[in-house]
Amino acid sequence: MQHKIQSLTQDSNHTSPSRAERFHPKLLTLQAHANQPRSVEGAGQDVGRSCILVSIGGKNIMLDCGMHMGYNDDRRFPDFSYITQNGRLTDFLDCVIISHFHLDHCGALPYMSEMVGYDGPIYMTHPTKAICPILLEDFRKITVDKKGETNFFTSQMIKDCMKKVIPLNLHQTVQVDDELEIKAYYAGHVLGAAMVHIKVGSESVVYTGDYNMTPDRHLGAAWIDKCRPDILISESTYATTIRDSKRCRERDFLKKVHETIERGGKVLIPVFALGRAQELCILLETFWERMNLKAPIYFSTGLTEKANHYYKLFITWTNQKIRKTFVQRNMFEFKHIKAFDRSYADNPGPMVVFATPGMLHAGQSLQIFKKWAGNEKNMVIMPGYCVQGTIGHKILNGQRKLEMEGRATLDVKLQVEYMSFSAHADAKGIMQLIRMAEPRNMVLVHGEAVKMEFLKGKIEQEFSIDCYMPANGETITVTTNPSVPVDISLNLLKREMALGGPLPDPKKPRTMHGTLIMKENSLKLVSSEQALKELGLNEHQLRFTCRVQLQDPHSDPDTLHRIYTHLKSVLKGYTIQHLPDGTVMVESIVIKVSSSAEDTNTKVLLLSWSYQDEDLGSFLSTLLKKGLPSGLC
Amino acid sequence: SAAMEEAEFDDILDDWFIEYKDLHVYQLEHPTQVIEWTSGRTVCVAGFSPSKNEILELRLPRKLFADENKGLCAERDFKVVHGGFTDRPVRCLRHVPGTRCAVTGDGLSSNLQVWDLGGDDSDVIRRTGSIEGRRRRTGVSEGGSSIAARPSSPPQILHGAQISDVQLTELSSGQTLYQLESDSADPLSSLHFLSDAVFLAGCSNGNIYVADTRTSAAPQLSPPPPPPVSSGESVLWWTDASAGPDPSGCRVVRLSSSGQALVSDLRNLGGAVSRAQLDVQTLRCGPDDVRVSWAPALDDCIAVSGFSGAVQIYDASVWTSELQEARPLFEHRGHAVSPEQSDDGVPPILVTSHVWHPERPRTLLSAASDGSVHVWDWVDQSAADKR
Repeated sequence: MQHKIQSLTQDSNHTSPSRAERFHPKLLTLQAHANQPRSVEGAGQDVGRSCILVSIGGKNIMLDCGMHMGYNDDRRFPDFSYITQNGRLTDFLDCVIISHFHLDHCGALPYMSEMVGYDGPIYMTHPTKAICPILLEDFRKITVDKKGETNFFTSQMIKDCMKKVIPLNLHQTVQVDDELEIKAYYAGHVLGAAMVHIKVGSESVVYTGDYNMTPDRHLGAAWIDKCRPDILISESTYATTIRDSKRCRERDFLKKVHETIERGGKVLIPVFALGRAQELCILLETFWERMNLKAPIYFSTGLTEKANHYYKLFITWTNQKIRKTFVQRNMFEFKHIKAFDRSYADNPGPMVVFATPGMLHAGQSLQIFKKWAGNEKNMVIMPGYCVQGTIGHKILNGQRKLEMEGRATLDVKLQVEYMSFSAHADAKGIMQLIRMAEPRNMVLVHGEAVKMEFLKGKIEQEFSIDCYMPANGETITVTTNPSVPVDISLNLLKREMALGGPLPDPKKPRTMHGTLIMKENSLKLVSSEQALKELGLNEHQLRFTCRVQLQDPHSDPDTLHRIYTHLKSVLKGYTIQHLPDGTVMVESIVIKVSSSAEDTNTKVLLLSWSYQDEDLGSFLSTLLKKGLPSGLC
Repeated sequence: SAAMEEAEFDDILDDWFIEYKDLHVYQLEHPTQVIEWTSGRTVCVAGFSPSKNEILELRLPRKLFADENKGLCAERDFKVVHGGFTDRPVRCLRHVPGTRCAVTGDGLSSNLQVWDLGGDDSDVIRRTGSIEGRRRRTGVSEGGSSIAARPSSPPQILHGAQISDVQLTELSSGQTLYQLESDSADPLSSLHFLSDAVFLAGCSNGNIYVADTRTSAAPQLSPPPPPPVSSGESVLWWTDASAGPDPSGCRVVRLSSSGQALVSDLRNLGGAVSRAQLDVQTLRCGPDDVRVSWAPALDDCIAVSGFSGAVQIYDASVWTSELQEARPLFEHRGHAVSPEQSDDGVPPILVTSHVWHPERPRTLLSAASDGSVHVWDWVDQSAADKR
């Protein structure tokens, strides 16, 4: 077995070192520069699909697997040929991590795992695992049943895909294998959204997914500790925006609902079961109370069932205030909000109804919409993005005549309002996150290329870190400075401690002398003697000799004595001995005097020293070459 | 806390519900003292801290302008279309019409910085040069420059910190095209072009000068009205001139730090067409704090800010030549919810700047010392009631 040995000493250029300083130990940390490249394939600057590949410490991780909602053909799927031209992805990926249930982050997951092929672990939080399959199934139904697509995943594929999922808890470190570990952090944004910390050896990456730095009415703000990852990958869709306040959005919502109710109209709010619906309910309830309004508010039963089913999941992921509210009472026990019965849709007079599904593509919300669409006093409020092919998408694009089943057309006369409540981090939020996590490098994805130079400059200036903005298909390589851990032997440590001085301090390195042994995957620092012993080597001693000529009329012993006196006055603090055997010793350096054969006034000094005393030896020879001062006795 | 949330909620309902057609509330990382239109949909703002500051060009939300299909537009946010850095405070920022240039002053000297706001290919605002103000006479306290610009080819700016150093400078060459002939050391509070050549200089001591860049004749001077007998403190004045196709039809409003407003005709600046005592708190104001402006698209309306955390709109058409108290037609109080209360040691929030939209009659932007920026389109309740 080959061992690599390196002897470490401090490179010293001191001219007149004090003794204490020379032997004052310092610890050298091995720094490997420019040898740990990390590659990141961009999620690109399109808004609409997230799928990032990270290679770190020899591991390959896929972060999110989103669908591009703007395309109808294969361009909506990420291009997996970057990983491999043909065949399954299992051998090429160590794991897949999904940040949250939005389709632009998980929409292509069943396609990837079941149609392209991947059998490894897929990690996501519990709520994401619960909600993903529902959204995927809805999405599949719309795409296949309504639009007649063929190259798409089936219901069974969704189920098979979800069998590969390993759920994550917040702040819990999960060992994917011996070297790769991951940890999820709270991201805000939507129920179950997580930011993920990935670590291999001493290198780490944090991927944010979508996150939000300001708390919502029902979700908290993202939080991460000062984990100092080598790279922080952040979404930057809204990086160049400054967000309008929550109060203004809420004001707009309440104003619209109020106006409609006042004129006797009905308001339909199609929602997905959880999260945003809760928030809007609470808002309306408070408003109704404050304004003393009488019009009924309903919550469709489909919603209630689903919500109760996810109740426990919801609770741990929501913010403190909601949690307190739900502890005190049943989730749907609002004073002004009642369960809906389908017959109520025909009741005269104003009302507000929350109904599923959120994109008006089927079910109760669509039924109610059909009944109310023809009356211009009514209103439908769409609180989020709608997939192509749905009624929601069509009316948000301004379509006023809809083709329904059986060739019937529906005139859309009611007022259509699009209100975006979902929260993303803006420029200020990104800066806040960087301040929290303290990454060494920054990568911005999911935003618009050219339009982020200012933000890049801002980040680079304020934090003195590099900022990258990869495009789709672009690989960036980030250089890191990993610290290499080295074990120090107990003997060596004791020896260093015995020398005294202040305790080890990362800010004040100390030099020390040791031998680095690299064996298998570990590095250890031991004393030279121990290294020699372990390796079965003999210690070799190097001795240097030097002859210095000196003019001195005295006898050899007298010259020697003069040298002794001289050195004693110059080298204070060193051990200088005049030995009976006719030598002078300075530390371990031996000095002998003899006369030249030709001329007794020419003295030849023989200096001899070991390698360890090289500096002092050179110093002495230089000193003595100058000759002895005259005033010596 | 729960109480705060309740109060916040009431706030939404009481003030903001009925009184606004549109309302957007933003929080900048650092407060701005400048809001300057760079197009019909974009404004520039900038920080004024002693060292590092950002200059941002913001695009107003699409929803504000989506008049027919407002409901279908969910976009409510400011978009930072361009941004840059400066290591000085920005106390004054003027866009040069017809260009992508802006000129800034730091309020400390009369030298100005010139910036390229950037085009489609980059979002970075870069400094391209500087303009030297005229040298000061010794003994005069330094103050910042005022800047004015009107469309011209090649681009020019009018600037100065006091009357004697007002000059017209060509941007690209730095050449001085005109200098105001006057020895007066009156410090400027604003400069306004009334036509391509005629301009008005408002001084903080209340003097108004009108001059023509085509002539070297001495400017016309109009002093302010005499101060009330009781006042001991020196009074500061701010001025605005209404824009219009015919400069002779221009009206000038003067506002004092004691809250007195005077409207005069340009042809007779010495006399006052009407006056009013405005409903403002006359705490100690600095020369830079207050803004008074004519509405560009709403007859006789004047906006006032800087005395408190509110922006007030007055209808000057009901003012008379006798000094009477005037009540605002509308008051935007969103920046400081309760201006009377102030926590110990915490300075009250003051509005640092406001601007009217050049075309939309009731749309304004306002900024405050806490970094907030509001875009609002108010409802004229009196007009609504009359219907």
